[in-house]
Amino acid sequence: MSPGQEIDIGEIVLHHTSDAYSIDFEPFGSFTWSKWPDIHLGGYALNLTPTKHVVFMLVATGLAYLALGLAAAGLKKQQAGRKAPTGFAGFIEQLVLWIRDDIAIANIGKNGARYAPFLVALFFFVLMMNLIGLLPWGATATGNLAVTAALALMVFLVVEIGGAITMGPRAYLGTIFPHVDGVGGVGGILLTAFMAPIEVLSKFTKPFALAVRLFGNMVAGHFVILSLVGIILMFGSWVIGVPTALLLAAIMLLETLVAALQAYVFILLASTFIGLMQEPHH
Amino acid sequence: MTTTLGMLAILAEGEGGGGPFSVNPGLMLWTWLVFIAFLFFFRKTFWVTIVSRAEEREQTIAAQLTQAETMNAEARALLEEQKKATAEARGAAQTMLAEARAAAEKERALGHEKAKADQEALVDRARRDIAAEKDRAVAELRREAVDLALGAASKVIGQRLDGDQDRKIVLDYLATVERSH
Repeated sequence: MSPGQEIDIGEIVLHHTSDAYSIDFEPFGSFTWSKWPDIHLGGYALNLTPTKHVVFMLVATGLAYLALGLAAAGLKKQQAGRKAPTGFAGFIEQLVLWIRDDIAIANIGKNGARYAPFLVALFFFVLMMNLIGLLPWGATATGNLAVTAALALMVFLVVEIGGAITMGPRAYLGTIFPHVDGVGGVGGILLTAFMAPIEVLSKFTKPFALAVRLFGNMVAGHFVILSLVGIILMFGSWVIGVPTALLLAAIMLLETLVAALQAYVFILLASTFIGLMQEPHH
Repeated sequence: MTTTLGMLAILAEGEGGGGPFSVNPGLMLWTWLVFIAFLFFFRKTFWVTIVSRAEEREQTIAAQLTQAETMNAEARALLEEQKKATAEARGAAQTMLAEARAAAEKERALGHEKAKADQEALVDRARRDIAAEKDRAVAELRREAVDLALGAASKVIGQRLDGDQDRKIVLDYLATVERSH
């Protein structure tokens, strides 16, 4: 931003939350790359150029992998098979076991342990993407609807495919065409036919809620933070700037909590949806 | 309303890769690709390390708990045996004590009876000795009396009366005197 330029809070918010083919390191400059050509699939054009959010997603994944790797190395070093580990390795181990026992097994049941690696990976993936946006020059990939929609769609597939495998095709079809106990004959068929669209809709509302909840929470926090930064820059006054900066610091702390909380809520809801599809409906 | 829609349109459009509300299929594919790769490598490497260590520890703790329960049961059994043995020993000691008391009582009674018998024997012997001494003293006295009587009588009659015949006369006389008394 050049001196004397008029402050546009909307532009600041849009610029920092939008995806792009560049990464800003203000005031040191920015790194920009060119867009790849589109891939044409029939009449549909798909572009696979890595965007800013892809880059930060890769960085977040690398950090998550590094954290888990350091924990695993720490567990090996501390001979955690014989005595309880301490420090960072112990913290990560407890986090992983908590997700396995208190989220996966508690919500899914006897098959919960099978889904635990998926939920643990999902938690660290989302958590790191949430947190990295709070760092200077960072961007939150989970503040992009495409990312949260992709994750929710994946959860949807895990829920439906996992449910179909566990329950069997007949019981799985029962989740779409429910049989209402005590209502038989033509009335029962009509009721099942009437319920089927609602059941199908309910299958899609769950991942939709999952995607929108995470996206909304992450993007709203960034909107607030960036708006407060915009206010400080716009007024350029100590009287406005100092209290706003204090408020900004408090919101940043709150956002750190929200980042962890939303990762937890995401996997909690995912495990609940998986658990709901592990037994036939009654 | 128009402003809000305009703002949403800008947010959806964004710059370059799209606004936060836009759904970029390329970004979705990247998300799946990155996450599946992360899940695959995490599942193959660190998941096994982290969970196997914890499970190994859980198994060790479970084995130690089982061992502790077994040892506790053994200790309880030993304690019961110990209590039983103590009770038996106490019973045996009580019996032995009672027997010892009975034996002591018996011994004491026997001793008492023996002492009493000894005492009575002593008393009898003393009585007999006293009676014998009395008889001897009476005989001695009687002999002295005879001697004196004979001495006196010899003086009176002027002759010596010391023959056995004389003595028998006096003794017969004394016997009559004793009978008259």
